[in-house]
Amino acid sequence: MATTIWKGMITFAETRVAVKLHTAIKEERIGLHLLHRPDLVRLRQEMICALEKKPVPTAEQTKGYEVEAGTYLLVDPEELEQTAPEGSRLIEVHEFVKRAQIDPIYVERVYALEPDTTAAGYDELASALQEMDVAGICTWTMRKRSYFGALQASGTALRLSTLRHADEVVAVSSLALPAIPLTEKELRIGRELIQQLTVPFLPQKFVNEHEKKLAQLIEKKARGEKVAVLRPRLLHPTTEDKLLQALEASLKKAA
Amino acid sequence: MAQQGIWSGTVSFSLVAIPVRVVRAVTPGRISFRLLHRTDYSPLARRMFCPQHQTLVPPEEIVRGYEIEPGRYIPITDEELESVTPERSRTIEIVDFIDLDEVDPLYFDRPYYLLPLKGGEKSYRLLAEVMHQTNKAGLAKFVLAEREHLVAVKSNEGALLLVTLHYHSELLAADASTPKEIRGSAAETSRIKGSIRKMLAEFDPGKYADARREKVRELLQRKAREQAPVTSPHLEAAEEAGPPDLVAALEEIMREVKQQR
Repeated sequence: MATTIWKGMITFAETRVAVKLHTAIKEERIGLHLLHRPDLVRLRQEMICALEKKPVPTAEQTKGYEVEAGTYLLVDPEELEQTAPEGSRLIEVHEFVKRAQIDPIYVERVYALEPDTTAAGYDELASALQEMDVAGICTWTMRKRSYFGALQASGTALRLSTLRHADEVVAVSSLALPAIPLTEKELRIGRELIQQLTVPFLPQKFVNEHEKKLAQLIEKKARGEKVAVLRPRLLHPTTEDKLLQALEASLKKAA
Repeated sequence: MAQQGIWSGTVSFSLVAIPVRVVRAVTPGRISFRLLHRTDYSPLARRMFCPQHQTLVPPEEIVRGYEIEPGRYIPITDEELESVTPERSRTIEIVDFIDLDEVDPLYFDRPYYLLPLKGGEKSYRLLAEVMHQTNKAGLAKFVLAEREHLVAVKSNEGALLLVTLHYHSELLAADASTPKEIRGSAAETSRIKGSIRKMLAEFDPGKYADARREKVRELLQRKAREQAPVTSPHLEAAEEAGPPDLVAALEEIMREVKQQR
């Protein structure tokens, strides 16, 4: 069962809703470790001094802010700790935006919210958010960190997502993508193809098959059996002059 | 910004195949500090270290392994790992297109950009443009860092953004992508709607600077007035600009992912 990790109070205008935050995701995956090939000893990650090429214990580490290449302003880790924000129980909603405006690139982690102490206002807030298709942009402080996030309704439940700050997201303009002209015909066939291949999102349809196969591979190796090595499938890239042809053939196949 | 790719292969939809590489779409952003050695101010780097040999281990001497009993491991080579699902280790095959609005944000995990490799520029541009015009996203499965991910590929300002999705079985909270019956007091709901209407705005994440970052910046400014900076010893150029270590880069991502849990 999901455990409560924090309790807070959603607040805006005259509305107050007491909520509990629950973890919404649980990943259970096969863990592999990194080993040293000659003797299969498990490796450790160490902080290595670039000059002495030796591991440096935590007591001998300090932090520096690079003011120019190779020059640092030393900052005591304890002083940094003091910049942590003060604790508070308020999830302050500052404004509301259309849900679709929040691109998934900003979504960091989603928590499920449950009513705390009293259910007053919970269902009504969820209904209002759902019917208006909006999300509340809010800030709060949890575990010595200030968060920026989105309050949303999903069905009859409330969700709180932590969002990445704008400067944590790599801008598309920095990717230097080439501008290549496309013909109206290519675009039209492309659009038709996508429409043909569009289906409702049914998440239950997808299971992690890889995980089961990996477990089988490990069992096989544990029994000392030989494992067949299969070459990864590689596709031939569609060249520029063959794009239209490939689109037309795809559309024919999809129809 | 020339970013190192963490995966390269092909993204395909129907009979169109686009050679791409995967790069990160998020950066640490927060004011970042370098860990330094207190004695010589030399920067520290995270490296794999063998406790038995007391040596640094180069990537070619590293193998993955599964612990079958304490201290005993079964080594698994990269080739064997790629063999697990050979059809997905180098291919992101878009099988379906969906309306991303139908996806509960609960499923979103980590974003990456896909960048076209040589020869794939035009078909890349076509897929991005057509998904933008139809407001659709592609669904695919592929293997990154020994894990199979369900992913959505969408168009962001002409770029292909790949978002890894959680599997349905990993959801603890009920997936409520299909709206359920509305409950609660209608009068209270309508009062809340009134408040919301007065607070409607455009999404502008730049407005919300991290308050802590401001405090750290103030601390740094004070430090700069109070103390002289230190200089790290001159290192040979070869050390600083060594070849990128892909294993270390992937480990770094895995570590960040785990920290977020």
